[in-house]
Amino acid sequence: MFRKVLIANRGEIAVRVIRTLREMDIASVGVYSDPDRTALHVRMADEAAHVGPGPSAESYLRIDRILDAARRHGAEAIHPGYGFLSENAEFAAACEDAGITFIGPSAASIRAMGSKTAARQTAIAAGAPVVPGIDHAVSAEELREFASTHGYPILLKAVAGGGGKGMRRVDRDADVAGALRDASSEAERAFRNGDIYVEKLIERPRHIEIQVLGDRHGNMVHLGERECSIQRRHQKVIEECPSPLVAEHPEMRRIMGEAAIRAAQAAGYYNAGTVEFLVDENRKFYFLEMNTRLQVEHPVTELATGLDLVRLQVEIAAGARLPLGQEQVSWRGSAIECRVYAEDPFNNFLPYPGKITRLTRPLGPGIRLDACVYEGWTVPMEYDPLLAKLAVWAETREAAIARMIRALGEYDVAGIRTNISFFRQILEDAEFRAAALHTGFIEEFFQRTKTPEAPADVAAVAALVAAIYSDGRRANGAGPSAAGPSAWVRTGREELLR
Amino acid sequence: MKFSLVVNGREETIELLAPPPGSQFRLGDSPAREAQVEMASRGVYSVLLDGRSYDAFVEEAPAGLIVSLHGFRFEIEVRDPRRYSRAAAGRAGEGAQTLASPMPGKVVRVLAAPGDAVEAGQGILVIEAMKMQNELKASRAGKVLSISAREGATVAAGEPLATVG
Repeated sequence: MFRKVLIANRGEIAVRVIRTLREMDIASVGVYSDPDRTALHVRMADEAAHVGPGPSAESYLRIDRILDAARRHGAEAIHPGYGFLSENAEFAAACEDAGITFIGPSAASIRAMGSKTAARQTAIAAGAPVVPGIDHAVSAEELREFASTHGYPILLKAVAGGGGKGMRRVDRDADVAGALRDASSEAERAFRNGDIYVEKLIERPRHIEIQVLGDRHGNMVHLGERECSIQRRHQKVIEECPSPLVAEHPEMRRIMGEAAIRAAQAAGYYNAGTVEFLVDENRKFYFLEMNTRLQVEHPVTELATGLDLVRLQVEIAAGARLPLGQEQVSWRGSAIECRVYAEDPFNNFLPYPGKITRLTRPLGPGIRLDACVYEGWTVPMEYDPLLAKLAVWAETREAAIARMIRALGEYDVAGIRTNISFFRQILEDAEFRAAALHTGFIEEFFQRTKTPEAPADVAAVAALVAAIYSDGRRANGAGPSAAGPSAWVRTGREELLR
Repeated sequence: MKFSLVVNGREETIELLAPPPGSQFRLGDSPAREAQVEMASRGVYSVLLDGRSYDAFVEEAPAGLIVSLHGFRFEIEVRDPRRYSRAAAGRAGEGAQTLASPMPGKVVRVLAAPGDAVEAGQGILVIEAMKMQNELKASRAGKVLSISAREGATVAAGEPLATVG
């Protein structure tokens, strides 16, 4: 086993990896940029190395500096976390060249699953279902023929595309020619390539993914699914294990699990990975892509299976065989995770970095909190706004939702804005409770719900507290006050002087 | 002591008749009520009203106070009745649009200069935070009167950055 491991990451995932390393009695090396000098992962690591200034391109993405830090500190392996260099085949290869173990799959597997079209080919070769489509430039004639086979709606996409440019939904034959012309000229302007391909459009899809885990000796298991349909700006915000849909149709877990394993094995995959699927309203599932790393939302799988995925990743990287076969993997109860971001849900979810002036964490039964924040820390503006992952476990989904609402009520973060109160609204929503989930859920939620009116006494307390607070502030020199300083005002003054 | 408040955009008045912990208060014209109010820690108030327990969290924001309790969030502007009239008069007289930063961040681009004529909806500045960019636009046509922000400057939420008149 390794004696020392470097974590090429920051934030909550670096903290999470350090925790398991400590339990395994492996020394940890953290890396940090200038604004992260006092970040929690640096304070918690056994050793720490500076890798550059704030911008990621000059620090966390610098392969040379990360490897240099690993050499200087004598780290035998590198855990990449998620994001940054975690899905960079060049980095995985550079680690191996430097004689340092990359805790993840091989560079070849990362490449095989790296581009969407390459991954799609790998999946097709492995017999995994993909969204029906034509993978090359199409004519209007071909589009109409495709639609007659697979039905409308269909989705036109730019071959060179991204960011929604050159994308068009088409619902009937009469619109095909016009939509193709528009999409093509938009793609031409954006990418200097007007080629358009087509896919069947999946309406109101669910996003359900399968966690796989393989060793370097050819063994692979799946650890079940995660439902990640609650997204905003194409980013997951609430994840669950089990998926409520799969809980109702248990055979889906085995069928999707086996499809995921086939696709991963076709890429010669080992270590932890996730195969993402779209699931349509008839419960048909389609391969979307593979993430060749640990997922942000892995804690819900850990809570439901009782496994520590980071420990398994490290053991596999060190050459161990999988400690369990598929029959030994079991699931219990229901786990839900909310991603707490530094953003203002009342202002279009705009980011809100800044100093955390007060922090109270949820505690008690069934709570798991993976966070990188502490009172007095300034959330830097250079990085992703993910502050914490609040996960709960309970015997049933209903109990888990109740527990999450309870935990969110205990969570107080002041000084910055967070989406904590927004999660409460979602979790109390009847459609969410009925598990009527799809990737457009949040958009529809905003259209159909109004902000709930506060009960009169709650509003009265808010007004009272605001008045008392202002009165105290004024008595402390901010303005004239009619009353002499009461005991309470003195307390307020002492607080201000701290 | 009487306060006029703007709570989530609605005007209200509250009169404090007795100080905490045995607070007596009157909301608008309704009868006086009593509440037990203790400050549990900085900005955190434990309030007992008619036997019910409320934990209220107060934060200062550029536009006033933010009070959170029981999953609700109240943006509250507290106006001092004597000073308010002057401030309101000043605001009404200006007639210029102030562009304030919607979030804490960095000014990455300044797209106009003082004296420039701008259209409604034209971008004036771009602010960036946490890998997201946000363009501040003129809400109506006019002339850029001032730009106080420079490229690369760090700004707070609500900080005025430019005026268009």
